[in-house]
Amino acid sequence: MSELTLVILRILFLALMWAFIFAVVYALRSDLFGARVRKLQEQPAGVPAAAAPAPAKAPATPPAVQSFPSGTPTGAIGTSKPMATTRTASRLVITSGPKTGLEIPLGTEPLTIGRSSESGFQIRDDYTSTHHARLLLWGDEWVIQDLDSTNGTFLDGKRISTPTQVPMNTPVKVGQTSFELRR
Amino acid sequence: MTATADATKAPRAGKVKTMRAPLKLRNLELALLLLAWTINLGALALVELGALGTVEPTIILIGLGLSALTLAVHIAMRFVASQADPFILPVATVLNGIGLAGIYRVDVAEGDTGFASVAIRQVMWTSIAIGCAIGVLVLVRNHRILQRYTYIAMFVGVVLLLLPMLPGIGQEISGARVWIGIGPFSFQPGEIAKIALAIFFAGYLVTRRDSLAIVGRKFLGLQLPRLRDLGPILVIWALAMSVIVFQRDLGTALLYFGLFLVMIYVATGRFSWIFIGLVLFGTGAFFASRTLNYVEGRINNWLDAFNPAVYDADGGSYQLVQGLFGLANGGIIGTGLGQGRPDLTPVPQSDYIIATLGEELGLIGVFCILALYLLFVSRGLRIGFAGQDDFGKLLAVGLSFVVALQVFVVIGGVTRVIPLTGLTTPFLAAGGSSLVANWIIAALLLRISDTVRTQPRIVV
Repeated sequence: MSELTLVILRILFLALMWAFIFAVVYALRSDLFGARVRKLQEQPAGVPAAAAPAPAKAPATPPAVQSFPSGTPTGAIGTSKPMATTRTASRLVITSGPKTGLEIPLGTEPLTIGRSSESGFQIRDDYTSTHHARLLLWGDEWVIQDLDSTNGTFLDGKRISTPTQVPMNTPVKVGQTSFELRR
Repeated sequence: MTATADATKAPRAGKVKTMRAPLKLRNLELALLLLAWTINLGALALVELGALGTVEPTIILIGLGLSALTLAVHIAMRFVASQADPFILPVATVLNGIGLAGIYRVDVAEGDTGFASVAIRQVMWTSIAIGCAIGVLVLVRNHRILQRYTYIAMFVGVVLLLLPMLPGIGQEISGARVWIGIGPFSFQPGEIAKIALAIFFAGYLVTRRDSLAIVGRKFLGLQLPRLRDLGPILVIWALAMSVIVFQRDLGTALLYFGLFLVMIYVATGRFSWIFIGLVLFGTGAFFASRTLNYVEGRINNWLDAFNPAVYDADGGSYQLVQGLFGLANGGIIGTGLGQGRPDLTPVPQSDYIIATLGEELGLIGVFCILALYLLFVSRGLRIGFAGQDDFGKLLAVGLSFVVALQVFVVIGGVTRVIPLTGLTTPFLAAGGSSLVANWIIAALLLRISDTVRTQPRIVV
């Protein structure tokens, strides 16, 4: 085994080790640069691909929600409506967006919302951040927390900045999807 | 609810998705594992080529054995953890394999063969460690079960920590009383204790985080906790200090205390805990360095390593400086595997494995090893970040942080960034207890990541 062969082999070995590192980092790229956005053409015609991140209401919103005016100016939202607790709220219903009408049972576990495939409630549209918001229990009351998302989380049409209690039957909007907590 | 409720209910059936393409992640893992096995076999073959000029079939068999063991983990995961993170296993495999090559390199230099060979023992321990990892994956089907054993975990952790102090089974090796001996084997129970303590901290902090975070007075911008909430941190501090005093092991104490501080900080988000902890540890370490000879010696070796008097002293900086000379001899691209003189440093297979590998792989190789640790730890933190339940989050953060801290303490000690303390380099160094503990940590992280991804989820 000549000296030159050994030198070449040892440089090849270092290159191989780094190739492994780069292979892992390449496979991780969605972690570093965010998950891929779904193509806008896939969206149903009813939802406009609006540039404004916060249209007050998508057309698909059911009338029941519209009967509660969304213009409440204060942070203390929904004084008339009872807060959603583990006893009063049993399911989460999507009221606007591509999957309108879908509902899931609410347990006692927190629910993460975002574009990341690790989110419990994954919303793949242009306006959702990778880790957008979190729905969690404080005591026995459901609270929505915005995780510094780019386009914000809207509770009853108002952008939230601190963890806020969610009243029953009140729309929470993330990207182009709204959902409510119901009995 | 009005008529709209019926309209929204209509398309609901079966829309909650719980399954995704189950094999995508595992196939990615298999591809990375193939690359990992190539690296491991290449490393072992290069050691033989560089040191002896030929490649014997025995060492190829050892390399294939390691590959077969990790393949077993991979196959087990296809059945019991199909959505687990695909990067942790290949990264751990490469670290284990490169470590084995470094250990074998020293065996060749010292002429050890058969059961005297540390490499053979390392392979044996790897098989036990991987067996434990598969056992954890199969038995712990949901990490939240571990939360039920919060206080049992504390008890187990403390008992394991104190075990070496028992007369009869406790052993003192090179000044530190952290081993127990059973027959011909010696084991460092403190390594396993760190997992038990991480489980305890996670379970304890999930229930106490609110009182630790919210209650208390503000003083100079710091939220000071109530005295009774300070209790647990004082107990852990006392435990860490007793390890320093009675077992004479600085590194382990630092590890436990750092683990607790980071977990309490992550659980409460209060900087004051870090502040209190650092003040407590600083005070303890200061008095230890003034009153305990061996601590003072370590600090002296660190500050004044190249002083001939310190270099030649008994328990002086000879080992540290030899390691630095080795690293310097390696330079940027290293001497090549099998072509350096790592055996000039005392204990080149365990504490100084990074100096051994650094000499033969050079700065480029050391950075590659550090990048592997970075990937491992970042995956662990990522799993914690994505987790839905607080217990899993805290446990993942704690376990990956303990690996990161251990890497920092050992490699920082060998490269003279901080005073040298005796800890093992995770996955790399010769040592059964460390391998078992770190493979169990890998298995727990895999289990948590699998649970995170298989939770009921909706995709919009």
